[in-house]
Amino acid sequence: MNTLATRLRDGALTHGFPLVLLVMVLIFGGLAPGFLGLANLRGMLHSMAPIVIIACGMAVVVMQGKLDISVGSIGFVAMAVASLLMTEQGWPVGLACGAALVIGMALGALNGFVVVVLRVNPLIATLGTMIAFRGLALQITDSRVIVLPESMRGFGNLTLGPLFADTVIALAVLLAVHLLHRNTGFGRTMTAIGNDEQVARRVGLPVGRTVFLSFVLSGFLAALGGVLSAAQVGSVTTFLGRGLEFTAVAIVVVGGISLFGGRGSILTGVALGALTFEIIRSGLNHVGANPYFYQLIGGLVIFIAMYAAALRLKRPTDGA
Amino acid sequence: MKTLLCSLSMAALLAASAAIADTQTIGLSWNSKTQPLESAWEDYMIAEAKRQGEAAGVTITWVINVADADPSRQASNIEDLITQGVDLIVARAEDAGAIGASIRAARAAGIPFITFDRASATVAPEAHVGGDSFDQAVTTGQAFADLLGAKGVQGQCIELQGALTDINAVNRSKGWAQVVDARPELTTIAQVPTEWNPELFRSGMANALRANPDANCAFIASDFAITAVQAALEEAGRWAPTGEPNHFWLATQDLLPGAVPLMEAGYIDVSTTYDAFKHAEELVRVAIALHKGEDPACGDDGCLAKGRVATPETIATIENLWSKTYK
Repeated sequence: MNTLATRLRDGALTHGFPLVLLVMVLIFGGLAPGFLGLANLRGMLHSMAPIVIIACGMAVVVMQGKLDISVGSIGFVAMAVASLLMTEQGWPVGLACGAALVIGMALGALNGFVVVVLRVNPLIATLGTMIAFRGLALQITDSRVIVLPESMRGFGNLTLGPLFADTVIALAVLLAVHLLHRNTGFGRTMTAIGNDEQVARRVGLPVGRTVFLSFVLSGFLAALGGVLSAAQVGSVTTFLGRGLEFTAVAIVVVGGISLFGGRGSILTGVALGALTFEIIRSGLNHVGANPYFYQLIGGLVIFIAMYAAALRLKRPTDGA
Repeated sequence: MKTLLCSLSMAALLAASAAIADTQTIGLSWNSKTQPLESAWEDYMIAEAKRQGEAAGVTITWVINVADADPSRQASNIEDLITQGVDLIVARAEDAGAIGASIRAARAAGIPFITFDRASATVAPEAHVGGDSFDQAVTTGQAFADLLGAKGVQGQCIELQGALTDINAVNRSKGWAQVVDARPELTTIAQVPTEWNPELFRSGMANALRANPDANCAFIASDFAITAVQAALEEAGRWAPTGEPNHFWLATQDLLPGAVPLMEAGYIDVSTTYDAFKHAEELVRVAIALHKGEDPACGDDGCLAKGRVATPETIATIENLWSKTYK
């Protein structure tokens, strides 16, 4: 009996959150039949694409027990420069987007340098760069709204078969980062650093190089997310990337990736976390909920996910 | 003796003319000046000061400084204006709370204070001048209802709200709701909070369109993110100018530079301007009234300048429309 109770409890703790999500889907679907339609699923995947990519970068860093809260600002700087290259310098859209990705990597490298070489706490380091990068982007754009060229705006709604192009890109990135984490020495080092950085150093793993490269990757994915986000809305505004860092952290946490590092799956974690927030937003929209509910429900979900994670950490079987 | 008498007469004449010439020095403190809107405000203020000043017999001069979005720098800039002995201080606050200390300092020096565009959250100034966001939504809603009624369209509208912590966004939502309650041509079938985030404008609009296939119109709390709404409508195959069968009726607020060409092309049907010219005109009127010791006759929320309703038919004829002039 005790075994059954323990199994049920463990099962609830392990799969409780997806079950809650399933219940939410069924409730929204019952209240608004269009919610469960393929068109809505396709639309949700389209909306999620930029934040899935940014959350992948965040997950890589979090997997090592670190944080990069400058991702939203990196996306803004990268697109601020790219948008001016497109609209004022006449650069082709593809080349300007390539420049955005290079800028993202460079800013990520700066973060990595501050964390690895200068040994500044990642939260403090990226808090500083978050503010500085946003200030830089505001300076670059003069706080203006920059309307993107038609070809770039068209990419925001481009479809490849039944899916939007940005959805395909996001799925490819998610899979690639998952494989990087699970199937490469770099990924195993990430997990080792997350489990215990000192031990990883003692056994000779390239800790500094791995942390540095993970910030570069995070910067690259932040810029890519910024490119897709700007393409979706058709312009670069001062709101680009604002708050995305916290959404990305929330997605990672809700997806079951430990903020202390070393635990969780990037593939299922990021997908589940991003889907959770999109389902809430789309579901509340479909049922015509009071606009003030959106943040309340979002905050509640984060709390539940954190509480479930805390309970999981207390389990004897997870205690090692 | 003749020379002395002549000199005394000249001095008396100069003193008399100085007493007759009424001058007012206005200290203008910008929180920041990085956008065309601020330049438009300033240009219109200077032009209106000349026009209204001449009519009122007051010569207005300006001392202007900019705080580069730094509240403490704005406080010291205002302190400089007080030291220079200006007759009136006008400030667009970077921080609605921190500006209260500057209002107190000006009052201690006997200098009246006007908050411009952004009201003080702590200390009441002599006057506040800004836009009337409630009226903005009401006039847009009324014109929209008139238009849809004339076209025989029953409006099933999606409301894209701003940040619900922003009083302008709340006022616009209330103004729109008041019109919807009063006019049978309009119904709000979905409300979407956007937090002024363009990505939420796009995804919220796209969600609402999927959830409400019968929707045929939208009220947008600000058209600064109009390209995001455009993307959602394009995704749904509803982005078309007026006259096309799949035209989606759009009513917006502000008529900012990005929205002007879309209204001219017939994609946006109605908007009420966030009117830099009207704001400047009202500011100068209030400044002169305070200078003359008159009651500027502001309402409870301040002297709020109403925007002007624009449609594709009227946009070309609206004078001093900053969003067309300042690109």
